[in-house]
Amino acid sequence: MTLIETALDLLSNAFLLIGLFFVFLGMLGLVRLPDVYNRLHTTTKIGTLGAFGVMLSLLLKVGFSPIGVKAITVGLFLLLTAPIAAHMISRAAHRHGVGLCDESVIDEYGKVYTRDRKEQE
Amino acid sequence: MKRYIFLAVIFGLIWCFVHGIININNFILGLIFAPFIIRPFKPLYHFERDFSISRGIKKLPAMARYFYVLIKEIIIANIVVAKIVLQPKIDIKPGIIAVPIRTKTDLGITAIANTITLTPGTLTIDMSDDRSVLYVHAIDASDPEAVAESIRDDLEKYVLEAFE
Repeated sequence: MTLIETALDLLSNAFLLIGLFFVFLGMLGLVRLPDVYNRLHTTTKIGTLGAFGVMLSLLLKVGFSPIGVKAITVGLFLLLTAPIAAHMISRAAHRHGVGLCDESVIDEYGKVYTRDRKEQE
Repeated sequence: MKRYIFLAVIFGLIWCFVHGIININNFILGLIFAPFIIRPFKPLYHFERDFSISRGIKKLPAMARYFYVLIKEIIIANIVVAKIVLQPKIDIKPGIIAVPIRTKTDLGITAIANTITLTPGTLTIDMSDDRSVLYVHAIDASDPEAVAESIRDDLEKYVLEAFE
């Protein structure tokens, strides 16, 4: 095993550890934070970087073989689609009347949305 | 027609990446199938608007700067949220804030909304009907003015340069 291969292997393992650590933190946040909007913060931001780290580690492990290229493609698509999923989930939750947690200080969206609905009725 | 060829090249490259083997055969296969995929979804690609490749190439440095800022902000965002999650007692003041935006095009609004979601402490929830205000959920909303200002100065500048 040459020096470069060893270095790549170590780097790959390091990225795997970082990715898994962030995925773990995301799940911890999902349990600990109070309401659906705060939970989405952890799952989109941390979930994206965690999954991206795992995909990057896979790429470094196998190189630009079909598996590595597919892994990095999946990572890039996650970067694009995770925010859109978060947007749709939070919007649907708000429109179905899922309230914000008690610590919340301001809700400008709720004011506008209830006003629009009254005008329609 | 120029538009079809340009999009077909992009589709060919994407097909190479999804297939996993990047070679000329796969690229041509993607190139041949691209028009059949573009045709039914034509309204999504704005064929009525004028289009030039040279203007796109001029935007490349601004796009590179935008992606550099995006990656930096994603890493900061993760550290910020990790700190909040790991605190022994969760002490946050969340809230939903209306943030006025200057971006007008579909691509620009998508870019700014995705960027807001991936950056520290903020999450896009919805856009107003007249496309001028984004509703943003912030983990720390004790100072709404500061959140709106940081989005306008730190992120929107780069998005305007890269996608408008």
